[in-house]
Formats: sequence, structure tokens, C-alpha cells
Amino acid sequence: VAAVIAPAQAAEKTYRLKLAETWPTNFGVFSHPAREMAQLAEQMSNGRLKIEIDTANKHKSAFGVFDMVRAGQYDLGHSASYYWKGKVPNTLFFTTMPFGMTATEQYGWFYYGGGMELMQKVYEPFGLMSVPGGNTGMQMGGWFRKEINSVEDLNGLKMRIPGFAGEVLAKLGASPTNIAPGELYTSLERGTIDALEWVGPSMDLRMGFHKIAPYYYTGWHEPGTELQFLINKKKFETLPEDLQKILLTAMKVSAYNMTIESHHASAENWFNMKTEFPDVQVKNFPPEVIAALKKANDELLVDAAAADPLAKEIIDSQAGYQKLIRVWTNIGERAYLNSMAEE
Amino acid sequence: MIGIIMFFAALLMLLVGFPVAYTFGGVALIFGVLAEGPDIFAFMPFRIQSIMENVTLMAVPLFIFMGIVLQRTRLAEQLLESMGQLFGGVRGGLAISTVLVGALLAASTGVVGASVVAMGLISLPVMMKYNYDKRLACGTICASGTLGQIIPPSIILIILGDVLGIPVGDLFQAAVLPGAVLVGAYLIYILVIAWAKPEMAPTIPRDDSLNRKQFYLKAVSSIVPPLALVLVVLGSIFAGIATPTESAALGGVGALILAILYRQFSVKMVMEASIETVKVTAMVFAILLGATAFSMAFSYTGGDYIVEEVLSDLPGGATGFLILSMIAILILGFFIDFVEIAFIIVPILAPVADLLGIAPLWFAILIAMNLQTSFLTPPFGFSLFYLKGVAPREVTTMDIYKGVMPFILIQILIVISIMVLPSWYGLV
Amino acid sequence: MFLLRLEQTIDRFSDLLGKIAAILFVLMLFNVFYDVVSRYLFNAVSIGMQEMEWHLFAAMFMLGIPFTLRAGGHVRVDVIYEGLALRKKAWIDLVCTLVLLIPFCLLVAWYGVDFARESFQLGEGSGDPGGLPYRWIIKSIIPFAMFFNFISGIGLMLRSINILAGRHQDDDYTPIQH
Ligand code: NA
Ligand code: NA
Repeated sequence: VAAVIAPAQAAEKTYRLKLAETWPTNFGVFSHPAREMAQLAEQMSNGRLKIEIDTANKHKSAFGVFDMVRAGQYDLGHSASYYWKGKVPNTLFFTTMPFGMTATEQYGWFYYGGGMELMQKVYEPFGLMSVPGGNTGMQMGGWFRKEINSVEDLNGLKMRIPGFAGEVLAKLGASPTNIAPGELYTSLERGTIDALEWVGPSMDLRMGFHKIAPYYYTGWHEPGTELQFLINKKKFETLPEDLQKILLTAMKVSAYNMTIESHHASAENWFNMKTEFPDVQVKNFPPEVIAALKKANDELLVDAAAADPLAKEIIDSQAGYQKLIRVWTNIGERAYLNSMAEE
Repeated sequence: MIGIIMFFAALLMLLVGFPVAYTFGGVALIFGVLAEGPDIFAFMPFRIQSIMENVTLMAVPLFIFMGIVLQRTRLAEQLLESMGQLFGGVRGGLAISTVLVGALLAASTGVVGASVVAMGLISLPVMMKYNYDKRLACGTICASGTLGQIIPPSIILIILGDVLGIPVGDLFQAAVLPGAVLVGAYLIYILVIAWAKPEMAPTIPRDDSLNRKQFYLKAVSSIVPPLALVLVVLGSIFAGIATPTESAALGGVGALILAILYRQFSVKMVMEASIETVKVTAMVFAILLGATAFSMAFSYTGGDYIVEEVLSDLPGGATGFLILSMIAILILGFFIDFVEIAFIIVPILAPVADLLGIAPLWFAILIAMNLQTSFLTPPFGFSLFYLKGVAPREVTTMDIYKGVMPFILIQILIVISIMVLPSWYGLV
Repeated sequence: MFLLRLEQTIDRFSDLLGKIAAILFVLMLFNVFYDVVSRYLFNAVSIGMQEMEWHLFAAMFMLGIPFTLRAGGHVRVDVIYEGLALRKKAWIDLVCTLVLLIPFCLLVAWYGVDFARESFQLGEGSGDPGGLPYRWIIKSIIPFAMFFNFISGIGLMLRSINILAGRHQDDDYTPIQH
């Protein structure tokens, strides 16, 4: 009798996973994918998968998620790949790149252009898997206290802009500056810094930057910021195959939903901002500036590719795919949008 | 359940008198390991790292250093004495000066440890010298050192803005009037108590050898330099030269320049002042480390769920809800860190407040004022520990506990006034 | 007399940590000052120098904690403690060091070793342009400082034992003062 019951019990066994988020509690759309994923996984598995989520307010280590999932203190994480650049340089490429692909194009690269395989190649040596975790969509270029009319205007510009994009700006003479999030508002208000880049319309409005900086520039440096689910590989392999499939499917669906929700929320927030604060001036960087930024960006990518073979493989793969898919984007969406009067 | 037992165990253990920091850490260890196993402590390095990387906390040693240099050069003492004397026949002049200097420091930092310790170093010895009532002195310092939380820039307000989705600038603006009223209420209390019980806050005798002109000249010469220093610190923020944290470094270097000008500078003095700074800073941060271990054990053993449950269904309409939620926050503030309250409890209360039509700005200022009180409430009020850490030996923990009571009452009264008169404060 | 000499050796070690921390503080003060001046006057920002600020700050307070234990600078709730006789205080310190302080410091130090080693193995550095490399150095401060705390705790224990054995005649130890 025991032999008959045993497999049935095994099938009913509940697997409990713990997920650590980089985000604090209630961090707008960023907080949704992990929760939706947990709910979907539990429902689809008929309660056999239970996922408990700890926000950064509980574990207190927003940027320790990589290490904690790697060490098995958490089984899963929800974060963004480029945060781990200091630990593993090649993780940089799987979030978004200046002048890179839009969200839709990048999903094409992930799922059909070899992006997923390259991402696993980067994460595998650390006992981790990474899968897309939702896209914020186009991010704005930031809040500026002064207008940028030429490349010279970037010279000495004190801007809070971390990571690779900061490096690009630095090449053109700007001064990327570290400012604690709690002091950003006062620093921008008082002119301690001239400009800053935060998240996007919804989060930016919560910080109130529209009240202290007249210019809101359109984006160039994060055309489609992809978040990530991190998975401890060893733990993942202890799950029965069906649960593995359910977990990955729940991640994919929730990532997809966040991408849509984020697009929607940005539209709504943008509308509200324009209605409530009509004085905010939306600006595009002049073509001359964009060209200089693009040139600096390309040079940095050449350096990065020369430094590491895997980096070269990723950069080439992204550039090749972007070239391919952009042709269609141009014929498809760009032509369509151009053919219509702006409404 | 473990969370609650742990809390009372910590309370008992604290009474034994072993250093607070290690008591928190040790109790966290015992309960955390019993409930979850030793691996729960694998989270500790991450939490410590977060404190190490928190650059806003750099204001703590920087302000302490400024305070210590001003104290060693006797510039702070002369400032407070002269201010006290200028108040002439008014009793409590020294305490009034303390509140005013505290308010100025508050406008340049939002880190409680920084201003309480700096004020404790600067003004407690002077008040003791002039035979102030120990309790009144301690209460005044704790309260005015904690003003940094409500007077912008302030960390509580930034966190609340984030949690409640209110722009930081709006909150900063809205907090100015309540902050000013609070300062005013402190001053009135000091005036009244000094008038009713002169022995608690004696006037500072004037130096009879000086004529009127000499007296004012001396007063100006001892008030202007240190006050100018504080104004430089503040000014550097407003002029966009430095962030609030960095401004504290300008204060430290400025204090050294003053020491040079007053011919009190020496390498030995700097070294001694910085060893003293290290000692006081380490005292503050050891408590932060112990407390993060404690809150880790508390939340990972399910403590945060208990709190959530209690709060998720507070009864009553808008008024009832406001009163109950403020009482709940006040009580929780007795033993939970304000950051935890802002992140764990406020998100539970905010949707209800929204539903009842309570203006978010109003709600936020109420909570901020209330959380500010939590720094002062025994037994776990951080301001109280910090002051104890720099107080002379004859000041006991009990003195501080008792001294701060009237100020807690004042804060509660202000919270009530904001609750009753939101429109007067411009919050609705 | 061995225990007395050991206690004094540990005290000297803790004092040394205090001096190192004090020097780190002065460096940090001028580091921040320099960063403000160069940004305001010359629009020159060095991310590396900005990161150096918190490196110095973190090392300063972490190494300061064991020194402060030896110097008696950590706050106690003295509602009961202050009124006790020297021997009773010594008993409290002895038992609490054993039960609370030592296990806490050792356990955190233990996990801190892994924490720093991971960083070393990854060759972790700053993710920002011009930031500081070798993140493992500052991360190793955690296990080191916690271990030094343990050593300072042993010093406090020896002090208590020496008091109980009558080797410290008077109240030359003032735990709360500085
Ligand atoms: Na403040
Ligand atoms: Na409290």
C-alpha cells in the first residue's frame, strides 16, 4: 500500500520558494511582476508552488539580491541585470543599452535572436539563471535645470546618472555625480547638480522633480529597461519538471503584463503631468548632441568588445539583431506613425 | 509571537545594564537562531553593508566633530552663554538658546543622531555648569536635537513622500509651519517652567566688571563666529554648493578654521577631537547595527505579520480612524524603528485614509510629527540613547527618561492640534 | 598576573584601532571637503573620490566600535546598573559578554567571511564609471571589525575576571564615561 501512496504524496508535495526584490514596498509597477508571478505559479500548480516575497524593506539589501540568490539565502530574485555590472561586467547588456533596442525589439532578441542563450551563458558560472522580468518601456532622458543646445552645454554638466550612460556623458565632458536618493531633491532644487535621471514619469512625479527643473528631456540612454527574475539554479533543479515549467511560464506572463501596464501607466501619468503642470517643457536633445552621444557610446562599446570575448559576442549579437529588426520597425511602426499627423 | 517575546526579553535585558548595542544584537541572536537557525545571520553582512554605504549617515561623524571642536575651543560655550546673557532677566535663556541652535542645525540635517549628539556635546555641559535642572536640560536637548526630522530636509519626510506618493517638495513645504509651531511650543514651555520654577533654569549672571558697551561687544564677538559657521553650513545647502550631508563637512573644516583664528589649533587637539568623534560615532552606529539585527530577527520570525494584522482593521470613521492610527503609530514607535513604521505600517493605513477622504498631505505630516515623537519615547527612543552616550556621568538614563516626558506631551498636543486644525496649518 | 597582562595587551590593541579610526575620520573629513570644493569651483567630479568617502566612513565606524567597547563608550541603560557594586557590575559584564556579545560578534564575523570572499572571487568593483575597484577590501572590514569586537569583548571579560579576583582595587574603570 505504501508503495502506491508514495508517488501520489510526492506529486502533492508543496515547494516553498523565497523571492527577494530589489525594490522597496509599494514601488509602483516594479512591485507587480513578482506578486503576479507568485500568484499565477500557485494557482497553476494547484497550490504546490508557494512563493513568499520579501521587499528591500525586509532584507535591507537592494543590491545584495544577486549574492543572496547565488548563496541560496533566497531562491529567486526580482531585480535588473545591469545592477550587477560591478560584480560581473557582462550582466550590463541584458537590461537596456543607450541607443539600443526598444522593448519589443529587445524581446525579439531575447526569445528569437539568441539573447536568452547569451544571458544564461553569463549567469551560469554563478549558479544562476536569469529571465526577463518586465519592461518599463522608454525612459526619459532626465530633468535639466538648463537647456542643452549644443555639445558644449554638456561640458561640466553635473548630472546624477549612474552606470554606462554616465560613462557616455563623461566622454563628452559632463560630470556624472553620485547623490544619495534622499538628497536628490534638495540637490537639484539648489543647483548642487544641474540635471538628474531617475526612473520615468510615474516615479519622477512622485519625487516632485517637475517643480524644480523646467526641462524634461526625451530618452536616449534607456530605450527599454528590462527587469529580471533571478533563479538559483540548484534550487530550480530540485523542482519537478512540471513545476519548473509553471514557474518559467508565470515569470513570462507576469513580465509581459508589466510591460503593458508600464506603457499604460506612463501614458496616464504623462497626461496627468501635462494637465497639472503645463509648464514642464519637454525637449529633445538637438541632433548634434545625439550624434555626439551616439559616437561616444559606439566607442565605448568597441572598447568593451575588445576587452572580453563574451562581451564581444553579446555586443555583436545585439548590434546584428538590432540592424535586422530596425529595418522592419522602420517599415512598420515608424512609417505608420510618420504617415499620420501627430494627434 | 516570537517577535513579542523577543521584544520583552530585550526590554528586560536592557535593564541589566549591558551596552544597548550588544544587548540588541545578542537577544536577536538568541531568538533568531532558536526560531530560524544560525543561517538567518547570513543576512547580517548585507544589512551592515547597507549602513556602511548609506552616505547620508556620514553627517553623524561630521556634525559630531564640528560639535567637539566647537566645545574644545570653548566657542560653543561662549556662544550659548552670551546668547543666554542677552536674554538678560529672562530665565531659561540657555535652554532657549539651545532650542534655537537646535532648530538651525535641524535645518541642515535630517539625521537625528547627528544633531542630538552635537547638541548634547555643545550645550549639556554649559547647562550643567549653570545649575540647570538635569532633566530639563536633557529634555530640551533631546527634543531640539530631534527637530531635524520635521524641519526639512528630513529623512522621514522623504520616506513618507515615497510611500504615500507625495512629492518631496510639497512635504517639505508643508512641514515648515508645524515645525515652527513645535519650536514655538518648546520655547513657551521653557519660559513657563523657568518662570514657575526659577531654580530649574537659572539666569546667567552678567559679568559686572563690564559696562554696557563692553558687554554687547563681548556678546557679539562670541556669538558671531560660531553662528556664522552654522549659517555657512546652512547657506552652503541653499546656495547649491553642498548636499546636506556634505555641508556637515564644511562645518567640520569651518570649526577647524575658527580654532586656528582663535589660536587654539594644534595637531594634538585635532587628533583628540577625532578620537572623541570616533568614540561617539561608534556608539551611535553600534546601536544601529544592534538594532538592524534586532529588526531582522523580529521580521524574519514573523513579527511584521503580527503588526500588519493588528492594523489592517482599525474601526471607526475618519475621525476615529485618525485617532486610532495615530495612537497605534505612537505605541509602535515605542519599540519599532521609524523606517519600519513608514514602510510596513503606513502602506496598510494609507489606502484606508484615502478611502475616508483624509488628505494625504495632512496624513503624512501627522505621521511625521508622530514618528518624531517616537525618537523621544522611552525605553527605545534613539535620541535618548544618543544623549546618554555623550552625557556626563551624573546624568542617568532615568534623568533623560523623565526629562523628555514634558516634551513628548508637547509633541502629542501639537499632533492633536494638527488633527483638529488642518486648515490652519494649510494641510487641506 | 598573566590575565592582567593579557588584558592590557588587548586594551592596547583596541586603542590602536581607535587611533586608526581617528586618522580615517580626518581623511574622510577632508575627502568630503575636497569633493565639494572641486565640484563647486571646477565642475570636477570624481566618482572614485566620492566612493572613497563612504569607504573611509565605513571603515572608521566599524573599527571604532571595538575601540569604543574598550573605552567604555557604549551606552548602557543604567537604571539599575549604576547603583550596583563593582563586583556585581563585573559579573554582569562577564556573563553578558559571554552570552550576548561574543556569540553575536563571532556569528556575524563568520558570515562576514563568506560575504567578503564572494566579493573577492567575483573581483567585484564599482558599477559606476571611475568608481573604486576591489570592493572586497571594504567588505572584509565586516568580518575583521566583528572579530576585533570579539577580541575587545575578551578584554572586557578579562577586566571583569580581574576585578572579581581582586586585581583591580578601585573603580578605575568607568564604563559609561569618556
Ligand atoms: Na532637517
Ligand atoms: Na521609540
